[in-house]
Amino acid sequence: MNNPNSQKLNTSSAPHIPARISVQKVMLWVCLALLPATLAHLYYFGLGILVQLSLAVGSAYIFEWWCLHWRKQPVKPFIADLSALVTAWLFVLCISPIAPWYVAVVGMFFAIVVAKHLYGGLGHNIFNPAMVGFCAILIAFPQSMSLWLPPGGLVDNLVAGQSMTGAEIFKWVFTGHSALQIDAVTAATPLSAIQTGLQQSFTLSELTGQAIFGDFGGLGWEWIANWLFIGGAILLYKRIITWHVPAAVIMTTIAASTPFYLFNSDVFMSPQQHIFSGGIMLAAFFIATDPTSGCSSFRGKLIFGAGVAILTVLIRNFGSFPDGVAFAVLLMNISAPLIDRMSIPQPYGKKSRTNPHD
Amino acid sequence: MSKKQDVLIQPLAHFHGGLVLRHHKKMSCTAPLQHAGIPDELLVSIKANRGHVSEPVVQIGDKVLKGQVIAYPIHPFGAVFHAPTSGRVTAINSANSASQDALPGACISIQTDGQDQWVTPPETIELPSTANAIIKKIRAAGIIGMGGAGFPTHVKYDQSSPPTSTTIIINGAECEPYISCDERLMLDHPQDIIKGTLWLLKAAHSKRAIIAIEDNIGGVKKRLEAEIKQLKLKQQGWHITVVKVPTIYPTGGEKQLIKVLTGKEVPSGQTPLSLGIIMQNVATAKAVYDAIELHKPLIERVVTVTGDVVAEPRNYTALIGTPFNYLLNLAACDFTAMDKLVIGGPMMGYAMPHAEIGLEKTTNCLLALPAESTKPEIEAMPCIRCGDCVKACPQELLPQQLLWYINGNDQQNDLEKARDHHVFDCIECGACSWVCPSHINLVDFYRFAKSELTYMDHKKAKAQAAKQRHDDRAARLERIKAERQAKRRSKTAQLADKKSAQKEISAVLSRIKQQSNNKQTDE
Repeated sequence: MNNPNSQKLNTSSAPHIPARISVQKVMLWVCLALLPATLAHLYYFGLGILVQLSLAVGSAYIFEWWCLHWRKQPVKPFIADLSALVTAWLFVLCISPIAPWYVAVVGMFFAIVVAKHLYGGLGHNIFNPAMVGFCAILIAFPQSMSLWLPPGGLVDNLVAGQSMTGAEIFKWVFTGHSALQIDAVTAATPLSAIQTGLQQSFTLSELTGQAIFGDFGGLGWEWIANWLFIGGAILLYKRIITWHVPAAVIMTTIAASTPFYLFNSDVFMSPQQHIFSGGIMLAAFFIATDPTSGCSSFRGKLIFGAGVAILTVLIRNFGSFPDGVAFAVLLMNISAPLIDRMSIPQPYGKKSRTNPHD
Repeated sequence: MSKKQDVLIQPLAHFHGGLVLRHHKKMSCTAPLQHAGIPDELLVSIKANRGHVSEPVVQIGDKVLKGQVIAYPIHPFGAVFHAPTSGRVTAINSANSASQDALPGACISIQTDGQDQWVTPPETIELPSTANAIIKKIRAAGIIGMGGAGFPTHVKYDQSSPPTSTTIIINGAECEPYISCDERLMLDHPQDIIKGTLWLLKAAHSKRAIIAIEDNIGGVKKRLEAEIKQLKLKQQGWHITVVKVPTIYPTGGEKQLIKVLTGKEVPSGQTPLSLGIIMQNVATAKAVYDAIELHKPLIERVVTVTGDVVAEPRNYTALIGTPFNYLLNLAACDFTAMDKLVIGGPMMGYAMPHAEIGLEKTTNCLLALPAESTKPEIEAMPCIRCGDCVKACPQELLPQQLLWYINGNDQQNDLEKARDHHVFDCIECGACSWVCPSHINLVDFYRFAKSELTYMDHKKAKAQAAKQRHDDRAARLERIKAERQAKRRSKTAQLADKKSAQKEISAVLSRIKQQSNNKQTDE
């Protein structure tokens, strides 16, 4: 026998075949799924998103690195997990492409330092970091958040001189000055246009006739939403998310907004405007599906998604903010542990329908 | 038999979750069974299900013959062990066993003499005619569940109270990758398996059996059905059906297979018998056939020797106690490249510290893996609660919640919360660990929680018993004291009355007198 008796073998526990996926890969797929919508954003609103993306990602990683050092955590695996990239990216898709530079930095401070690391880092955050960052700047800098660019083909707008070039955006973001008449080149978001319009006693049909509205939502926004849907479909196909949360968010948005719309279509938005004008699509596939701050059981996920949708519709219809997705998500984040506790699935062999004597 | 008693449902049901894994079975299953021969030394572990050690009945230096009993069980869940071949007992000591963590257990070492000499068998083999006789024979042959759990086979029949309504499921669904010993056994000995099944049916007073195989093993169903036809079982009233089940890990798990075949779930904490089902592995059925019709106790089994560093992977019929390195050597294993030696499959198997361990009755596979194909031992990342484990769990648990509680992330009584989240329903199939993107070895946490909770329960029960004893003693002392006081009180009351006091005094005086008289006569 050619085997030395003393041969020491590896005795690590099962499974003994390599896993097929890692946290890094999950995050990478989320980024890939965000790519189509980001390109659509680039097409409709110009190069601003690239400026914001580099600002947010850069500051996110500086904060991440600093927090890991400060918490004496291994830096390399946690930097490499790409979760900060996802947080920054989701955040950027929510903010205005021409927001001043400090918006992204402050937002990332709240997202990475406060929401993530103060709660214990990756996997321990109670709130969705991107939404915490977004809500912080929504409250801190309402003015900058409402200042958007008018949608339209990037090339068309540049040719017609109706939008800002990359250099102008860059200058505006970092200095707050622009050679252009800023009011002439900016526009409100569709949802805030609706809100301010309604306050001035316009009817919805009058408002949605404006140039910033498209076929079934905000112009440009509806296409970003479509591409977010495609990205979500990729995540579903790759089994990174399950259908429960997106289905619950979208179906409940329709179910919750339809009665209002039928009751008074002059004041309350139609279901398709709800879905295609703001952050619902992003929330359905990318925000409310965040596993760490969401629910774990399938029933819990359905309740969670439905809660996000109902709160969003209520905030949009009756609240003082034009869009309510971020607040709805945070409110549901705090409810998630309770929902989880109430929706523990019955395991194999403990179902009451199969075991009436149990 | 009425339709109602047929537990098999069509179409088949599904269990929750599960995994589709690469099989890696073909490499070891193409070659027919081969006998591994007699090694120089056998290391017979005398431990059965859950570590119930049997008592050796031979001594060091004794000569043993093939089939001779060498250890008897002490516990009802233990098993009888026989000498697998003739030779001399060289040691009875504690050695690593082929079970979880290679836990050391009692082991009888036998130096073989190469004669393979049987203890004299009875002239004619008498076939048992009653269920009890069959069960007795199964017990005497030392047969335990050969699928891996090692539960003594006879125990499953001792209690089968509602006769005729029982269905026996013969489990031929080896859901773990690499293992092919059951498939090979079904291909090479289909008739023995079916005959063994008939004996099991007789033991259970039943007529109905289902042989379940996975749908990725082509020829097996035809082979078995041809044998059933040839034996003309249908005409004799036996209902033996061969059913293909979808190859989804862990479909070969007892609970999962029952769900797939019957649509029913075994109630938590109960055995399949509560549904009128007894499940046996195909190798167990073969062992029953050998024991009853050939009068051969369980002294050998079929084992798959495979893995990426094994040059000639195949299935061997090997004597119980054959050292692993002997078998690996036969299959041309590259020992220098071997990083892990796994007993069982890659999902639930146990990695052994070395190869100087003997084959056990439950060892179905030796899997030798090189460093590059084993799971890299990268540092586990924190759980991101992605829920992949929830999707994969065949028991419909919430693995990530269990991890959270076991990790102590919640406040007090975390392990109790793990119990509330049904940690004891975990079958440790490893599906959650495999899908975990954070590479957390979840099953390790559940094993820890289960053993810790069991220990705590044990301690609690002991403390409660001690308290009960203390309370009982205090109550007893109290009672004795009260009785004494009552006696004294009644006496005082008696003496208070002058007449009865006088009577008492005279009685005492006469008693003393009597005593002193007695003393004098004694002297």
